[in-house]
Amino acid sequence: MDHLLLMIWHAFLVSAFFAFLWRSSAVGRKNLFLKTFLIMVVGSAALGWLMYPFP
Amino acid sequence: MSSADAHSRKRTSEEKKGRPPAEEARRAPYRLLAAAWLVPGLGHWILGKRTRAIVFLAVIFAAFITGVLLDGEIGTPKPQSPFSWLAAFACLGNGLLSIIRLVWLNGVGGLLSNLPFGLQGGGSPSAAGFAYGNTFLYTAGLMNLLAVLDVADIARGDKD
Repeated sequence: MDHLLLMIWHAFLVSAFFAFLWRSSAVGRKNLFLKTFLIMVVGSAALGWLMYPFP
Repeated sequence: MSSADAHSRKRTSEEKKGRPPAEEARRAPYRLLAAAWLVPGLGHWILGKRTRAIVFLAVIFAAFITGVLLDGEIGTPKPQSPFSWLAAFACLGNGLLSIIRLVWLNGVGGLLSNLPFGLQGGGSPSAAGFAYGNTFLYTAGLMNLLAVLDVADIARGDKD
């Protein structure tokens, strides 16, 4: 089981859902999808690195 | 019959129900909301939002199936755990998907006779993907509940 892949899959689904829920135009949806997807994936990786020194 | 007569008749029927006419007009139909809850995307499909309906169905179905394949547990209420009610609420948000999974695990008779505390939610706590599976199941249910609220907004004319 690949944890990173599961996190990316989860981020993809949630980002797609909110992009279609909150935006009506194709450009708006694309922008919101990319923004939320990158924030979730990059943010989670960054948080993981920040937590690395802690036991 | 003139339009004034029709308007008068409508106002009378609404007044019989004890609701002001403006509130009656802004109320989303219950059957529409029930359809939106039971089948993800169906409410948007009925309202003519076809693209959104297909995406919501695909996303919620994919999240639910991923949760089941990862050995996640459909949340069921447990008397010793108050937070299990929240998990049950989130999972019940999946509508028919959740009900079918519960019938699959408990059978129709078991589902009815074991309500609310004796239901089996499936999953395996010792499985590597158990926590991830639960997360996918909760996420799918909560996304569907948000989609139902979106249907209510569209039906009331608050959103296009």
